[in-house]
Amino acid sequence: MRLELRWSDVDEVTAAPATRLVGTRLEVDLAELRELLSADSRLARIRLELARPGERCRIGRVFDVIAPRAKAEGGEDFPGVLGKVARAGHGRTSALDGVAVVATDQQTDNVGTLAVIDMAGPNAALSAFGRTHNLVIAAWPSPSTERSDYLAAVRLAALKTAVHLARTAREADPDRVDVFALSPSPRVPPELAHLPRVAYVFQIHSHQRPTGLDEGILYGDPVRRMLPTIVHPNEVLDGAVLRGFMGRSVTTWAIQNHPMIRALYAQHARTLWFAGVVVTVAQATEPERVRSAFLTAGLVAHTLGADGAVLTKIGGGAPHVDMAQAAAQCEALGVKTTAVVEDMSTDGSAEGMLLFDFPGVDALVNVGSSQEPITLPAMDRVIGADDLASKLLGETRATYGGLCGAIEQVGATRVMAEVR
Amino acid sequence: MAAETLRVVCYLNQFFGQLGGEDKAGVGPQVVDGAIGAARAVQQALGDAGTVVATVICGDNYAAEQAERATTELVALVAAARPDLLVAGPAFLAGRYGVACGALCAAAQAELKIPTVTGMHAENPGVELYRRQVYVVQTGAEATRMLPEVQRLVALGLKLARGEAIGAPAAHGYFARGVTRNIVAGANAADRAVAMLLDKLAGRAFTTEVPRPAFPPVAAPRLVKTLAGATIALVTDGGLVPRGNPDGIEALNATRYGAYSIEGKSSLDAAQYDNPHRGYDTTWVKQDPHRLVPVDVARELEQSGAIGKLHETIYSTVGVATTLAQSARMGREIAEKLRAAGVDAVILTST
Amino acid sequence: MTPVAVMVGANRIVSAAGIIHPLGSADLSPEDEKALRRRIVEQALQALRTEVAKPTVFGRE
Repeated sequence: MRLELRWSDVDEVTAAPATRLVGTRLEVDLAELRELLSADSRLARIRLELARPGERCRIGRVFDVIAPRAKAEGGEDFPGVLGKVARAGHGRTSALDGVAVVATDQQTDNVGTLAVIDMAGPNAALSAFGRTHNLVIAAWPSPSTERSDYLAAVRLAALKTAVHLARTAREADPDRVDVFALSPSPRVPPELAHLPRVAYVFQIHSHQRPTGLDEGILYGDPVRRMLPTIVHPNEVLDGAVLRGFMGRSVTTWAIQNHPMIRALYAQHARTLWFAGVVVTVAQATEPERVRSAFLTAGLVAHTLGADGAVLTKIGGGAPHVDMAQAAAQCEALGVKTTAVVEDMSTDGSAEGMLLFDFPGVDALVNVGSSQEPITLPAMDRVIGADDLASKLLGETRATYGGLCGAIEQVGATRVMAEVR
Repeated sequence: MAAETLRVVCYLNQFFGQLGGEDKAGVGPQVVDGAIGAARAVQQALGDAGTVVATVICGDNYAAEQAERATTELVALVAAARPDLLVAGPAFLAGRYGVACGALCAAAQAELKIPTVTGMHAENPGVELYRRQVYVVQTGAEATRMLPEVQRLVALGLKLARGEAIGAPAAHGYFARGVTRNIVAGANAADRAVAMLLDKLAGRAFTTEVPRPAFPPVAAPRLVKTLAGATIALVTDGGLVPRGNPDGIEALNATRYGAYSIEGKSSLDAAQYDNPHRGYDTTWVKQDPHRLVPVDVARELEQSGAIGKLHETIYSTVGVATTLAQSARMGREIAEKLRAAGVDAVILTST
Repeated sequence: MTPVAVMVGANRIVSAAGIIHPLGSADLSPEDEKALRRRIVEQALQALRTEVAKPTVFGRE
């Protein structure tokens, strides 16, 4: 399977009478876009705002971040959720570099769950979204809309926006083209047969909280009874996997630019052979976890024939253990593993970093502690969180976990917890 | 800058304080003006950066046998010298001395709010006891190279006294304190994970970024009575509380627990209970609290004689993002109360 | 979560019915749900009668 990501660089986004890409300037007709998004009866009112890097602006109530992408010639955009259910991961996809669509949550009553993006100051450097031009969507629910319907509507609006923006690049000559081509895993050329075969085990969702029927995650499926399955890495890069509504310290943007898949592609046919991707979900009960763990290990060892596997998680404590059980089952079948974990300690003690201790699961990378406090400096304006604006405008305290994009559990970030 | 040189107090045992050997190990705390014995090496390492204004000395046996009293007395002697920094030892492999150094440093930090530093060999019991609270610099087993060892203690002590950022344990030669801090690594986590896997696959050395947890084994008590004669208590970390959450148990990172009577109740009425737990969706437990705390079934087992008695108090806290230290404390307190009430066994239900 | 209980050294561990309702199930009738709860509690009592030397998981099918 071969996928081309055709990148157009953007270094300016402005409101304009028409939506188009002029060189590296993206012009957006905000009124037209608002009209497009307003067709969804679940949403009563929509506000669109622009935030640029370096501006003393804080975006509040961040729900998810989407990278602008559009299929360049046929094919479905975000299949199963926005487009029809169809295979993703092949052909050409237009992508805008330097732009992100930020969806905010205007329904939550709980001020404790806010996530923010800082466009300037020291925290901007910790998050990819402090360096992108952001189109921020604030949408309010229509009166009878329930929580899960609202979140589905907000995400759909963000996906539509991401496609709408990226379509401006379809006629442009790309600044860069990334080619992702991976032949079926058994067909290793003889001269590369000596390379270790490495699989990626991608936990795409957690069932520690119930998953809504509308919560399309894999090709629109809410993966409620999903058993581990194999997908081509290009499918992940091309919109087949979206973050669930409760995904913590992970954004859809990071999945669309999946750092682990990119890292494995970067080493593919050089220091390793990228054997494929197994997608899993974190389960809520012990028998389900055990079943999922050995099925995962079976796919990695027996179907993909991997010598090694890297694993990532999503969500909190239960997914952390679920991933480790899968890693332990891989090790038991002779597959060497490394796993990416959060620092689970809530008081900064090294003893509390892990919730498991399995034989062989001894090579761990960490993405830092989401609980560690961080100072949010004063800003000039707040968008996306009218109700919290007074609090978020001045200097305030938050945690790394509350800074959207500072910790991406799929491995996109550089923050790590160091034991001292 | 000479007027601003740091006031430093040193702590030594009877041997390094030149009072004598094992025969003087029983002597109590005393103070000498300026630097004496091994404290002279500290002064030498300080150079112009600070002055050893006093040396506090205590015998090893006195410090070990009357530890609490010794620490209190020593802290008072240290306080009287108004230091900006306390340098204890180095104690090398001397166990009693190392423990005394750690205890004094921990107490001086807590009570006098001054930075402290000590030094020991890795196998000194003082390391494991105090490294979490105190900067313990790694030294050799014996005092054969006193000055270079002391220089490392003093270098770290000066950084602490000046409020400078302290780097990783390896950079300064101190034992990891077991605390974590977010830093920004040179590469993203995905690249680090792939590199680590390639090392592991090739049999090369690799360094995990998360130490393995080391939980001490917990002895399993035997139930000496028969179940029919035993009192069983129900405890949960799943967050069940009476409506209104009277103890204000936190939704996460809990520090409180509640004790709630079930006297006269054969079941729990959902309308009377609530659940603040933020680690799972509590909808189902709120609908029926027995899904978390099985009072209905336990009462039936009590009535049928399968168990002797159901304890009339249930204990509850919220177990999500709760620190190990708080969990251990709450568990200890609950266990003490249950034991005092004559409870023989506990069924703890967890989410 | 059973593996966490094992890691921290809990000695007698009964694998129950899941995080959101360890001693019940919203999918069962009230009678069946109570029978499930009774089975889990009885397994816990059985575990209490069993001597163990290290963390032991009971009741895994």
